[in-house]
Amino acid sequence: MTTPLLDITGDVCPMTFVKVKMALQQAPRVGTLTVRLKVEALKNVISVVKTEGHLVTNVSREEGIFLLEVRKGG
Amino acid sequence: MDEADYKELKKGGMMRQAEAGLFSVRLHVVGGRLATPQLRAIREAADRFGRGEIHLTSRQGVEIPHVPQGSLAALKEFLAPSGVGVGVCGPTVRTVTACQGCRVCPSGVIDSPELAEAVDQEFYGKPVPHKFKVGISGCVNNCMKAEENDAGVKGWIEPRWEAPACTSCGVCAAVCPTKAITVTPESRSLVIDRPLCIGCGDCITSCPSGGMREESRGYRLFAGGKFGRKPFLGKRILGILRTKEEAMGAITAVLDFFREHGKSRERFGDTLQRTGFPALETFVKERTGLP
Repeated sequence: MTTPLLDITGDVCPMTFVKVKMALQQAPRVGTLTVRLKVEALKNVISVVKTEGHLVTNVSREEGIFLLEVRKGG
Repeated sequence: MDEADYKELKKGGMMRQAEAGLFSVRLHVVGGRLATPQLRAIREAADRFGRGEIHLTSRQGVEIPHVPQGSLAALKEFLAPSGVGVGVCGPTVRTVTACQGCRVCPSGVIDSPELAEAVDQEFYGKPVPHKFKVGISGCVNNCMKAEENDAGVKGWIEPRWEAPACTSCGVCAAVCPTKAITVTPESRSLVIDRPLCIGCGDCITSCPSGGMREESRGYRLFAGGKFGRKPFLGKRILGILRTKEEAMGAITAVLDFFREHGKSRERFGDTLQRTGFPALETFVKERTGLP
């Protein structure tokens, strides 16, 4: 199964974390999601992911853009 | 009425206006918080004794302008039953300002109104070499502009690195607004440059793994700030103060230092220019036993 990719590099707060929240709501129960984002969105997106009970399982970087692997929780 | 009498009236919060015979009456407000019965009484007083006008001051205070000298005593008497006192001016500890703090604001780290009440009860209107302003911000977003005050406080979060939980992902370093964190993935090491840390806690909020945790949260004290003709930003003194009592102890010692070393009509920032900040820190540490 391929992990869906959500690219929010073109979005600004609050759309960044709103999109992540919605994508995780729509993901299957044991789903994963890869989020592509800029450094400016890191704090709010990770904070929302944690607060909603999901888990960031990996963080990687490609030329100033961050990739978060998120596993749906709860 | 001679100048000395005007001075006495001013100390008691009755400020002579440009127009002869009229006064602007400053009221006692703490942290910008008033109950609705107090607001009703103030409105009624402004209608009865002034010209139906209320002035909101630059530091969360309230004044009733255009009150004739002959009505000052009656105005004071009228407001008293509602718990509205008359304010202060002159070389005294002035209105204590505060944000709504952690009980209301989601960003709040400390209960700023609670500390403001304590400072007010202990020091409001007490004589000092020159006016002394205290402002309390619930967090480092600093809505109350701590560094503008003779003594300013900010709610502060101190981070701690938990090596076993850290994945060296570098998010904390990326989000840190002052670049106080250096992560070296190759050696799995992380260094926090403490003097650079501004206590925002962003590294903790954004840490995906629990490698960055909260070491402590509390009160951070800034001293010697002022605005006016010659502005000066207050500087951070002491370590993090963990309780309201520690914060009160430190503020008490700062005021003691000002009383002992300040010259008459000299703002605290100017006193500190003469004595240096280390003299204040040493004094406060000795008085309080704080680190």
